[in-house]
Amino acid sequence: MKKLFAALTVGMVLATPAFATDHLVVYSAGPKPLSSGLAKAFEAKTGIKVDMFEATAGKIMARYEAEKANPQVDVIISAAWADAISLDQAGELLPYHSANAASVPAALQTPNYVAQGAAALAIAYNPQSGLPAPTRWSDLTQPTYKDQVTMPDPAKSGSSLTLVQGLVAKDETAAWKLFEGLAANQTLVPGPNNAAMNPVLQGAKGVVFGAVDYLVIGAKAKGESIEVVYPKDGTVLAPRPMMIIKTSQHQDAAKQFIDFALSEEGQKLVADEFILPARTDIQAKRPGWNDLSIIDFNEAAAAASAAATKAKFAAIMMK
Amino acid sequence: MFELVLSQWQTQRSRWLAPALLWLAIALLVVIVGLPVLAILLYALFPHINEWSLAEPFSALLPTLADKQLLSATVNSLRLSAAITLLSCLLALPLACQRNRMSDRSGRWWDALLMVPFLIPPYIGSMAWMQLLQVKGFSEQLLGFNLAPYLYSFPGIVSVMALHLFPMIYFAASNALRVVGHRYGDVARVFGARPWQIFSRIYLPLVLPSLVSSCLIVFILSIEEFGTPEILGNRFGFHVIVTAIHDKFSDWPIDLPGASVLSLILIVIALAAYLLQRYISERFSANLDQQVINPPPLRRSLLARTLTQLLFIVVAVLAVVLPLLSISLSALMNTLSGGLHWNNLSLQPLLRLFDGDGDAWAAISTSLSLALMAACCTVLIALLVAFAVVRLRARATVLLDFLSILPNAIPGMAIAVGLILTWNQRFWPLTPYNTSLILLLAYVCLMLPYPIRMLSAALRQLPRSLDDAAYISGASELTVIFRILAPLLAPVALAAGFIVFAISTRELVSSIMLAPPGVETVATYVFHQFDQGSINAGMAMSLVTILVSGSIIVCGQRLQGRVRP
Repeated sequence: MKKLFAALTVGMVLATPAFATDHLVVYSAGPKPLSSGLAKAFEAKTGIKVDMFEATAGKIMARYEAEKANPQVDVIISAAWADAISLDQAGELLPYHSANAASVPAALQTPNYVAQGAAALAIAYNPQSGLPAPTRWSDLTQPTYKDQVTMPDPAKSGSSLTLVQGLVAKDETAAWKLFEGLAANQTLVPGPNNAAMNPVLQGAKGVVFGAVDYLVIGAKAKGESIEVVYPKDGTVLAPRPMMIIKTSQHQDAAKQFIDFALSEEGQKLVADEFILPARTDIQAKRPGWNDLSIIDFNEAAAAASAAATKAKFAAIMMK
Repeated sequence: MFELVLSQWQTQRSRWLAPALLWLAIALLVVIVGLPVLAILLYALFPHINEWSLAEPFSALLPTLADKQLLSATVNSLRLSAAITLLSCLLALPLACQRNRMSDRSGRWWDALLMVPFLIPPYIGSMAWMQLLQVKGFSEQLLGFNLAPYLYSFPGIVSVMALHLFPMIYFAASNALRVVGHRYGDVARVFGARPWQIFSRIYLPLVLPSLVSSCLIVFILSIEEFGTPEILGNRFGFHVIVTAIHDKFSDWPIDLPGASVLSLILIVIALAAYLLQRYISERFSANLDQQVINPPPLRRSLLARTLTQLLFIVVAVLAVVLPLLSISLSALMNTLSGGLHWNNLSLQPLLRLFDGDGDAWAAISTSLSLALMAACCTVLIALLVAFAVVRLRARATVLLDFLSILPNAIPGMAIAVGLILTWNQRFWPLTPYNTSLILLLAYVCLMLPYPIRMLSAALRQLPRSLDDAAYISGASELTVIFRILAPLLAPVALAAGFIVFAISTRELVSSIMLAPPGVETVATYVFHQFDQGSINAGMAMSLVTILVSGSIIVCGQRLQGRVRP
């Protein structure tokens, strides 16, 4: 037993990644094939080792906050644009403009951070449920869909919050009326994105209001019975921000990483996961920039009143 | 006269080992448990302590505590944990009583089977029940009915969690009953006592300390549990403190100080539960003068044996077979929407785990070796702590004892934050942070309460006169510990080790936060699969882990059979 124990200890210590001088620490929010694909391709191209920590956007930010006494991370890729806004306002980001960002739409870049890609918020429905295909957001308040709708919780999913903010920014009265209708239709708000999509795949429910589109397209590609609908009255983008942290010890490597993620090669990896590439000149493997009617709104202003928006949503839906 | 001799003898021979052990135990617990908990406390009071600043002290306290929902969440937490503890007792006690009337052989079989609930991660278990009982779930597809209204209700959550946690009480109670043996009951029977009288007047008081301390664990585990209330409770607006804490970890903006403040509430509840447990155990401290470690099985009628087996079968079906069946079916389904059709079932999701990059194997071996090391470390530390707490009458032992229950009271996420705050500091010349050792440290910290509770309860049953007799006969402290106490505690230590091993193989919350870049455990692997919408791959991985660690435990049970004197 003692020997085994000693062997294990030695093994564990040896197994831990050796920290070379030339390495980069990246914290990235899902999907894992994209994060590890980017890391591998970047290592192959530059010889710089990437230590990739993957979790949900919330856990990444929690780790970042807890590490403040001795910051470890160089680059953060989040799934929530609001994370970038708050870090930027706190002055914790290193300004950098990549030459590769030329064809990234203005709304998806600032002097201090830039989108890696974006998801669009959509309606997803299970054709096996026998429900008619919805065409606009308000369809789901109709009696046909009673007890059949789920929606990711804006308190637990940044993209769902973006949708609520976008609809409210477009037409406040209509938006809150829409949510009241959804509440009256017994819409289930079970948690983050997966919690809303699983019951629809399993057939317990029929429709997701505000599904992250690339997850739905990915599920369909795996053979699931699920369809994505972009509502006629416009959809909202949830961009995935990339940012360099000011305390980074490897700023050059970090800049190279951003360049790489925005290069043609990097953007194709983004497209492979059915995410909308940030660069408009890269072919998407799903409805692209020209196929979506996007609701434009001031995300920074919306972020400032996010708490109030969430509270109002909760008050309506949890009644 | 006798005491005089004893005290003279004691003064002649200095006892250096016992105080040294006490200090070692204190030092270990302070480093492993004390530091991260202290970090959380400081964080609750000084929200910028993570930047080494004492700015805005106490600013997180009031806003967090003023939240209107907090009171109902606290009441919900208490209600839930009390109900789960009660139901777990009701399930575990009859089983534990019957367990001691069986032959050791078939008993060990049931023991191994009832270890399985620990191997099923609570969030996977809840998903399994959902798949089984929801609208258009497996039960509706196969048998035409669903129990969704029951599942998404307070009794539903209580049942799911009690079926997961009752083995904790079962193992503690049956170990305690085994030490008691049948002699007292036999004597009472001779004098005409009825079975109920024998149980309530003789056995119950004798095993009460063990029972109460395992109840404490179940209570505190239920207070701390996140997965089940999150998955099932969200469906009907049932919120507890832990879900509130996790919201603070995942909502934008992240509110770590607020989460720490809420953790304080859990610490206070744990303290109250701990004091209650201490009070009850002290009133009923049971010392048995003659140990019976291996009581002969009772001769019983065929009817009684059949009924016993039936009882075990019913519980095992509910706690083990149904969840495992649901997990297996989910792991075999090509698509979720395809439902239970032959052409939708295949071994593909299972096989796909093991082709390609070998990530799955790496995750399994990381988790298994971490779990094995965690089991060894915690049991050794727990022996030390139990000895210090039970045998040394020092003031410090109360603190030691309370410290040992804390990690269970604080949500895994908060412990993870505490560990980061503690170990990610520039002043440490050496730190486990950002290596796999931080995961080991986290598991040891989180799991310590189990072996400490089990071993100190067992040690309390061993009379002090046993030690004294040895001392008088000239034994050294080392001899007493290794030749007398250790063999008597070995079965309990092994059982505790298995529990730690089982729970560590699937620890999720702190693993996700603390895993160094590039290291995957089973839980983080499953999490990433779910994150990509591959429920079947995640379920397949869970199934493989349950089978692998389950068979390791079965081998261990066989070993245990040999260890027993």
